Amino acid sequence: MNSFFKAEEIVKNFGGVRAIKGVNLELKRGEVHALVGENGAGKSTLIKIISGVIQPNSGKLFLEGKEIKFLNPKHAHEMGIATVYQDPLIYNKLSVIENIFLGNEIKTKNGTIDWKKQEVKTKELFASLEIKPYFINQPISSLSIGLQQIALIAKALNYSAKIFIFDEPTAILTETEAGRLFKVIQKLKKQKVSILYISHRLEEIFEIADRVTVFKDGKNEGTYNVKNISRDKIVELMAGKILSEDIERTIKTNRTKNKLPILEVKNISSYYYKNISFSLYPGEILGFSGLIGSGRSEVMHTLFGLIKQDEGEIFLHGNKLKINNPSTAMEFGIVYLPDDRTSEGLFSKLDIKFNISIPLINKLKKKFLKVDKKAEENLALKYIELLKIKAPSTSTILSNLSGGNQQKVLFAKWLSTNPKVLILDKPTKGVDVEVKAEIHREIVRLAEDGIAIILISSELPEIIKLSDRIIVMHEGTVTGRFDTKETINSKNLLNAATGIRMIRSGTN
Amino acid sequence: MKKTLLGELFKKREFTIIFIIIILSIVFGILSKNFLSISNITNIFIQISSIGIAAVGMTMVIITGGIDVSAGSILGIVAVITAKAAIAGLSVPLILILGIVVGTLLGSINGELVSSLGVPPIIATLGTMSFFRAMVFQLLGGRWISSFPESFRKISTSNFLNIPIPIWFMFFLAIIFTYYLEYRPTGRYIYAIGNSIEAARVSGIPTKRVLLLVYIFAGMMYGIAGVIVAARTGIVQTNTGSGFELAVIAATVLGGTNILGGEGSAIGSMLGALLLAIITNGMILINLPALTEGLIVGTIIIISVLTDILKLRRRGYQYE
Repeated sequence: MNSFFKAEEIVKNFGGVRAIKGVNLELKRGEVHALVGENGAGKSTLIKIISGVIQPNSGKLFLEGKEIKFLNPKHAHEMGIATVYQDPLIYNKLSVIENIFLGNEIKTKNGTIDWKKQEVKTKELFASLEIKPYFINQPISSLSIGLQQIALIAKALNYSAKIFIFDEPTAILTETEAGRLFKVIQKLKKQKVSILYISHRLEEIFEIADRVTVFKDGKNEGTYNVKNISRDKIVELMAGKILSEDIERTIKTNRTKNKLPILEVKNISSYYYKNISFSLYPGEILGFSGLIGSGRSEVMHTLFGLIKQDEGEIFLHGNKLKINNPSTAMEFGIVYLPDDRTSEGLFSKLDIKFNISIPLINKLKKKFLKVDKKAEENLALKYIELLKIKAPSTSTILSNLSGGNQQKVLFAKWLSTNPKVLILDKPTKGVDVEVKAEIHREIVRLAEDGIAIILISSELPEIIKLSDRIIVMHEGTVTGRFDTKETINSKNLLNAATGIRMIRSGTN
Repeated sequence: MKKTLLGELFKKREFTIIFIIIILSIVFGILSKNFLSISNITNIFIQISSIGIAAVGMTMVIITGGIDVSAGSILGIVAVITAKAAIAGLSVPLILILGIVVGTLLGSINGELVSSLGVPPIIATLGTMSFFRAMVFQLLGGRWISSFPESFRKISTSNFLNIPIPIWFMFFLAIIFTYYLEYRPTGRYIYAIGNSIEAARVSGIPTKRVLLLVYIFAGMMYGIAGVIVAARTGIVQTNTGSGFELAVIAATVLGGTNILGGEGSAIGSMLGALLLAIITNGMILINLPALTEGLIVGTIIIISVLTDILKLRRRGYQYE
């Protein structure tokens, strides 16, 4: 048997959600094995299991034919699993040599560090990757991200790593750096190690991988030799046929021609995105799709006053706006439900009524400028009932609520301000199926009430189901605009999200 | 889980402290006849009044997740300036206002450093601590000031309804700011910032303005404390107020204010100061060596913070 590493029937649950549902994966010695799938398909979960960060609920791992359990990341590391993340884990102020030998120093007889031997060994390591080691005495932070990654690869080689896991390594690299990384990967292959390569850039897979495995909804959709599969076929496997046809859009666009847009964004640019323009109409749900890092959240941060735009203009009801901070945005009726509810959305040590009333608290005053606690309580009760928040009382501390109920509190917090433009960044992240359905119904209800909604989601079924129109971003630019039932399908969205321009004429 | 009123009360840090204070008072009262005398109790309260007042300001700073180690130096500057003003013949109400104004100005320097310039609070106030202390030296020119006019000393000795004025000040400020934190929108903002400054910003809270205000309030409290200390001790020297900030921080933390921010109350901090003073005073009265006092105070502070951490752990918070 040629099998070098095998994962068998791996299952992992998070709370009630089954993140991966019995997947199999096999790595051969000396192969580059690509792993693809849309966000949430279970790739990251599997990597975390293989690198010992989390434990599977069931299933087995085999390394060189023997069953193995990785107790923690250090253990996996010692067994020869090296993980290279897109943001390298480094000790900034130490030199490249020090980073490579940290915790694994070569010592002299006296027990001191043998700097000469370390330098010789470092040069050997880089030579084996065909990289000129001119930088090895510099602090690692002075290197480009690409070279930092390569230094970490050298470090892993020094640990005699057997399996290299690359988690979207090229996401933040320039083209030249990516090219150099691919060469290094080819060299690694020759050293008879296995490489598991995760990327959203499908082109890369055809450039460097031998085989590709497609994940969808926590399941393995098959492993193929890259010579026998096309880009289109991969996209189809990632999206699944069912998705594009079976999900019925529950709402129809009510946008009539004579309605005026509430919000117009004209050619805004910043460090994170370039030339973004779109209009938003009252009562519609405008989906923003794209991969993590495509710049879609940053566009929304600009609308909410968290990131400044360098160029371009924003109009509300035809009036030019200057949004300097979130409180100005709120005054204009623009609110943003952030993606990370624990760090940006909610105050987890405080209670439900505090969290719901905080944006409005200045207006809930009575005598002696005192907060009207009765009004605060009633406000909280109103939303507990409206959104069916399950909690013993309005004084329940947020961290004692389930993720789904916390998310509902986050909704309540913003709904209480009566927004005109509601920006939802992954509103159903980490909630169970039931709450998800409730939130979906609530979003539709809000749109029917005339609120203009922008929906960011990493889940294609969600965005397809809810949106009237969808804008897709890739690496900071708009690569797709879809506004008919025929064009809104997962294949189009995925193509645009992975960088193929799909802009149709005739849309705004 | 069954909830009883008593159980709910005991969940509040303030009641735990009151409970400990009562137990300790009984123990010390049995061991020493003097402990529960009116004069000794008044003495304890006068001792803690300056720490208690400063702790009200420190509480707000720590609730935002910050810290202010310049408290003692600000107190020092205010003590020098007001002492000089007293000798120059300024009237008592004006002296008090002067102390508050100087404290406010110095607090606003901390506030600007932390809020507008984004200097981490520990660094900003460490810097101003040295800076302000140097100003104390400069103002005193290496000498000390004593023999204040009797009217000035009266700030600490005169009574209202048989209770010394500084104690009235402390209770008044503790109540005002407990109300402020609990009922005013800005009070909410202070807790929100300490919970998560990012979430506060995303909630539309003017975080910079609130932070500035908190350090200004703190400076104001140190100013009032400075006037009281100068009046009570009757002497102002180059080291007046040094080490004061540590006593204030200890009282605040003991009073249930979470050193990581987000939780705490002004009343709690005042009770924390009272508890520390009772331990110190009681141990002197029952003739325990001074060394034991430090050991016991240190142990109590660590235990009280540990209980916070255990509480967090129970909520699933991981320390790594």
